[in-house]
Amino acid sequence: MKLLYYPGCTLKTSAKNLEKSAFCIAEALGHEIVEMKDWNCCGVSSSLTDDDLMHHLAPLRNLVHIEDEGETQIITLCDMCCNTLKQTNLRVKEKPEDLETLNSFMDEENDYKGTVKILHFLEFLRDEVSFDKLKKMVKNPLKGMKIMPYYGCMLLRPREVAIDDAEEPTIMRDLLKSLGAEVIDNPFKIECCGSYHTIEEKKLVSDRAYRITKFAQDRGAEAIVLSCPLCRFNLDVRGKEAEKIYNNYKQVPVYYYSQLIAVALGLDPKNCGFGDHAVDPILLLKKKGVFENKRE
Amino acid sequence: MSKVKEKIVNEYSLNLKKGDLAKEVEELSGVNLFGCYQCGTCSAGCPYVEEMDLTPDEVIRYIILDRKEVLNSKTIWLCSSCFTCAERCPRDINITKIMEALRQIILRKNIDKTKLTMLTKEEKEVIPQLAFVCLFRKNVG
Amino acid sequence: MPLKSYNKKMDHDLGIPLQDDYFYDDPEEIIERKSMPKLETTEKKLKELAKKGEKKVIDADVLIIGAGISGMQAALDIGDKGYKVVIIDKTSTIGGAMVKLDKTFPTNDCSICTAAPKMVELSRHPNIELITYADVNSLDGKPGNFKVNIWRKSKYVDPDKCTGCDDCAEVCPVEVVNPFDEKLSTRKAIYIEFPQAVPIVYTIDYDNCIGCGSCDRVCEPEAISFLEKSEEIEVNVGSVIVATGFEVFEPTEMRKEYGYGKYDNVITALQFERLLSSFGPTEGKVFRPSDRKKPKSIGWIQCVGSRSEQLGFPYCSRVCCMYATKEASIAKEANPDIDITIYYMDIRAYGKDFQQYYDHAKDLGVKYVRGRPSSVYENPDKSITVRYKDTLTGKIEENTVDMLVLSTAIKPNKDNKRLGGALGIDVDENGFFKQDSLLTDPIQSSRKGIFLAGCIQGPKDIPDSVSMASGAAAKAVAPIKDREKHIGKEFPPEKDVSNEKPRIGVFICHCGKNIANYLDVEKVTEETKKLPNVELAEHWMFVCSEDSCKKIKEAVKEKGLNRVIVAACSPRTHGGLFQDTLMEAGLNKYLFEMANIRNHCSWVHSDDWDAATKKAIDLVRSSVAKTRHLESLTEEEFSIYPKALIIGGGVSGMKAALALADMGIKSIILEKESNLGGRLNHLHSMFPSDTKAEDIINPMIKNITKNKLITVMTNSELNELDGYIGNYKGKVKQKGKIKEIEFGTIIVATGFKEIDLDGEYQYGKNKNIMSQTELETKLKNNDLKEPKNVVIINCAGAMDKKRPYCCRVGCGVSIKNAKLIAQKYPKSKVYLLYRDMRVFGKDEEEYYADVLKNYHVTTIRYPGDNKPEVSLDRKNPKDGPVTVKVHDDILNEDMTLPADLLVLTVNTEGGSETEKLKNMLKVPVDAAGFFIETHAKIKPLDFSTSGVYMCGAAHYPKNLVDAIAQAEGAASRAAIPIAQEKMKGEGIVSHVIEDKCRGCGTCEMACAYSAIELVPHSRDPARLVAKVNRALCKGCGSCAAACLNSAIEQKGYNSKQINLMISALLDEEAGR
Repeated sequence: MKLLYYPGCTLKTSAKNLEKSAFCIAEALGHEIVEMKDWNCCGVSSSLTDDDLMHHLAPLRNLVHIEDEGETQIITLCDMCCNTLKQTNLRVKEKPEDLETLNSFMDEENDYKGTVKILHFLEFLRDEVSFDKLKKMVKNPLKGMKIMPYYGCMLLRPREVAIDDAEEPTIMRDLLKSLGAEVIDNPFKIECCGSYHTIEEKKLVSDRAYRITKFAQDRGAEAIVLSCPLCRFNLDVRGKEAEKIYNNYKQVPVYYYSQLIAVALGLDPKNCGFGDHAVDPILLLKKKGVFENKRE
Repeated sequence: MSKVKEKIVNEYSLNLKKGDLAKEVEELSGVNLFGCYQCGTCSAGCPYVEEMDLTPDEVIRYIILDRKEVLNSKTIWLCSSCFTCAERCPRDINITKIMEALRQIILRKNIDKTKLTMLTKEEKEVIPQLAFVCLFRKNVG
Repeated sequence: MPLKSYNKKMDHDLGIPLQDDYFYDDPEEIIERKSMPKLETTEKKLKELAKKGEKKVIDADVLIIGAGISGMQAALDIGDKGYKVVIIDKTSTIGGAMVKLDKTFPTNDCSICTAAPKMVELSRHPNIELITYADVNSLDGKPGNFKVNIWRKSKYVDPDKCTGCDDCAEVCPVEVVNPFDEKLSTRKAIYIEFPQAVPIVYTIDYDNCIGCGSCDRVCEPEAISFLEKSEEIEVNVGSVIVATGFEVFEPTEMRKEYGYGKYDNVITALQFERLLSSFGPTEGKVFRPSDRKKPKSIGWIQCVGSRSEQLGFPYCSRVCCMYATKEASIAKEANPDIDITIYYMDIRAYGKDFQQYYDHAKDLGVKYVRGRPSSVYENPDKSITVRYKDTLTGKIEENTVDMLVLSTAIKPNKDNKRLGGALGIDVDENGFFKQDSLLTDPIQSSRKGIFLAGCIQGPKDIPDSVSMASGAAAKAVAPIKDREKHIGKEFPPEKDVSNEKPRIGVFICHCGKNIANYLDVEKVTEETKKLPNVELAEHWMFVCSEDSCKKIKEAVKEKGLNRVIVAACSPRTHGGLFQDTLMEAGLNKYLFEMANIRNHCSWVHSDDWDAATKKAIDLVRSSVAKTRHLESLTEEEFSIYPKALIIGGGVSGMKAALALADMGIKSIILEKESNLGGRLNHLHSMFPSDTKAEDIINPMIKNITKNKLITVMTNSELNELDGYIGNYKGKVKQKGKIKEIEFGTIIVATGFKEIDLDGEYQYGKNKNIMSQTELETKLKNNDLKEPKNVVIINCAGAMDKKRPYCCRVGCGVSIKNAKLIAQKYPKSKVYLLYRDMRVFGKDEEEYYADVLKNYHVTTIRYPGDNKPEVSLDRKNPKDGPVTVKVHDDILNEDMTLPADLLVLTVNTEGGSETEKLKNMLKVPVDAAGFFIETHAKIKPLDFSTSGVYMCGAAHYPKNLVDAIAQAEGAASRAAIPIAQEKMKGEGIVSHVIEDKCRGCGTCEMACAYSAIELVPHSRDPARLVAKVNRALCKGCGSCAAACLNSAIEQKGYNSKQINLMISALLDEEAGR
């Protein structure tokens, strides 16, 4: 099946490993990911003032181009893009008069008819593919790995565009369980990682990473899994910097969910881009013998 | 004694439309913040509250009491719009939008919070692009 | 954390016979049932039932749906008036939510101990028919003539045979999650809800029973029958009262941040009550669910699911602040080393004695933190860490507790919508039943003839529910008032045994295994037979069963017995039953004695067979010694003058008069002002619906003037009062002239007044400083000059050392007036200075939120120990603006506010006539001038003195809705003696031996019922002696015990009888 895909800026630069591993998984599942034509910046972050329609233009233009290709569904890998596109989609559905204004402003583009459905890749895996199917395809179960799922903000809030319950999400937990890993719960799994403060307030973000990770480590977590490129950077890179601030603290490896799925499905780890991380993720996998694990 | 110590803007020269801070915020955000009960849930859930000079519920209180020095607080720039407060507020007040409104009041007067000059070349390459986009959206007019 | 719920797995047909031949000595396996059993939908069963056949038809006067405390109160009120009541409940027992509680605030009374006597009274009342395990299917007809279809589910146990012995539950192999214990424990498929259940009939939970038959095999009275069918019953009544109660919100779908259902040690407050309860899953010990150890710290989070515009319900649940305080103070008192914290937004301690209860909890060491926690998380040792902001110190903190209790919202029953549809009454937007008009008719539902009582109209505590239930009783009687009344039971004529020698029959009970397994009942019987005057001594399995009572009656006749002793359990629960048995056999009911060889013997000496047997023999012997000297006693009959006097013509007084008139009873209203209406004459509008005050009282006054049954006497005051219940004579002073009136019962509705502030907040020194009432009068007369800055100070004169109580209505009044000012003068700035925002009633929380949002009233919280200071303008002290200095508790800073209008919400106290009235009526009054009711929880409208009742603000300040419910309730209570037309006093009254009496008055002071007074000696008028009023005496014996000269004897318990009992108890020979 052909899946139309919206990459966003970061997937093409800092998060190439996320994109590559996701592509591999899709291929293994029998889907072809095709990048959409003529996409532009998604317009993060979503406009929060009521009178600000200007900042909805960028996301809307993407939606128009999706419709132009004759598609009604788009897959995203980046949490922020997903959130922003969904919020704009919702806004124009709730206020048709705003849609009219936006459409008439973009007079060089076609009108948006409101037919596009935006899916995060995790949603796609859960709803269209189903975790049970993934479980059956697992070749190297992640046995013995104690992993803490981390969601961050954009997947779950605001409630109207969430892909799972905002207080007790289970999507990554279910995914990890179907891959055979042990899940460590952590109340900080839904707390903000620090977001754009990573540029000007590095220490703040390091503190956040420390707080989030230490709590899970105290409960036995050996790794973190997440889905957002910015969260990965904050917890991984800034988290490693936290080692200099806090005594006796060691940052654990941070994985994208797609990398773990790829490893579990027995796909080539070279596609996972493990070298782009601050804390080496392969060490833990090797230690647990995941590459040798065979399904019983 | 006010808790706000910094001075980013001269709030009295801002010449707020309608002269009233609360009305301005309400218009920009669409949120009627007078219904706040001062319960403290938003502050307790905020990830950055420990670095803030005014906690989020105090920000709302300052707006209700028309204390324009709230525009000088560190709080509104520390907010990363994570929506945790808005999700838990029992009065259904969208504090995220209120913070944005306060930021917009300043930014729309052509006052920028961020003057990005201190970053090394290496960092510019490593930090994910979306962080920059977000930063400019939030801190630059 | 609750046990997980199980899913339904199997289907059954109705009434299948026994299956395979299993025989269980002990339950061999515990079969896990997967479902939380739901009561079957009645319509489905109706269709399934092949045999529609005969339908049972009951003709009655009133149907009451729901037998919790409200339903029971209404049933008793109506039954006492002589009308027939059918009361149904959908669970297998009555009692409702009140029996789940351990203790009730603010008196800390044991909940089941106050509810159980009402339950027993209801089950034995001759006019009340109780149908449990039944629900309403449909209703047709019009007021005065309703036909209701009820589906009664079969319990598969014969109620006439079951003795409540518990043998069946011991062998049942099926365990189900127990909804009574709020999912903290399991019960069997054959069960009784709780040990004091009424009726005490075991029930088979059809959805989970597997039909193995073990229970049937062990049941000695053979009470189980799988062939008992469920049935449809048609009830024809004149009116219906709905009292189906409430449910407690479980935060599993919303408010998940508190970890309920996920973390073991997070429980709801009702689950905590079950932990505290002596018949709960931990037998009254507070244990953590995770490891069954005593917690070292407990936290409470208030308002979970309440007061929420999102993820919850918008209203205030009204009782949570108080029950959390109660649970915390009980836990703290029993275990002073436990660290207890309550996290709140406002503490709504609004009722009578509530604020003092809250202060006491603080003194005990309970910590109160103003801050609503954002989220909680669990630590590896299963303790819970709470993250909150302490808004009064401004710090963000985390606190770890061993156990977390969530005070969750009270939400409407899931079944309300269906029930509303079946009955044809409306449900409001929150799911509670809609009343006809909140401020004028809060008990009437949206359909005439159907009335609401208790929490189904909105959350409320027990006294308010009981008052409303009595009010519903009054209103339900109105359509059926002309129907035939049946007072009391009919008995055959009494035999005169005064000349006979005592012929005593002793019946000793096994009580199943409760007595017979711990002492030798055979030996007791043998020893008793040897005593002189004992004609017959027998021992039976259950003396209280219908079978045995029949045998007692036969024995009386055959053996010519003229005194009966039952050696069994407590006379409190079964005494009345046996007295009735004697009367049915033609004997005077006071020729009966009970020896408690269960609670006083077998239950407390269960480990010593011989000693218990000897003690039982001693107890029976001492009863026999007394019984030889028992005499027939008469109960004097008094006629009741069929008129009620209502003192006070405000809203409460007027509503009471109208309710009485609707029941066909005459009344007199005494009002000291020149026109009716009371305080509402001075007010502008009422909250929470902003109805104008005159629109409320004017129609009422019109109705009263038109009503021929109501006599209104304005400009009148009661000067003198003589007499007692049913026979009062009063002298009224009206415009200088004295008029004499006669009446049977009295309702006190004298209201309240604002206190004298004594210059506090500069009151009285400046024209622009006024009380709320003065403000409203000015607004009404358009007499207020436009203000620019308005400051309202709440709690003036309240909750301080002099007057430690809350004025209850102040918060609501201040918000309503703030709105009025903001509406009338939109340019003005209004500040509201408060200590706690106590808007607890129906629609009040939503009103408050609306005023804050749309009228931009700024609220400032000030601490009780740092009150605002008012300074007058130096140049213009009498007429100019003032300055208010207040400490904002949340921002922790002092603020100075200018004000050209300062409004004080002044505390209230009892009416000005209270002193005089209390002496005339001989009723007690508290320090604040409010009248004291006989029982704070279940008798809030009655005085200890019979015949006098109270309602409205005379009891304690209250808002309009509660006052009207109380007024109609008081009317119902006052109507009971009048409806009965005659009253029987007690038989065991006290009696003064005039010649021995010194006239010292000690007995008069000892009497709690004002039944004794000093009068001149019959032959020597110079001497004063005590006289007992038989109509008021309740036979408590306090006077006989207090008398220094032994001049008072209590009939049925006189000194000779007591002395003989004591001698016989201690010395075998003396007993012969």
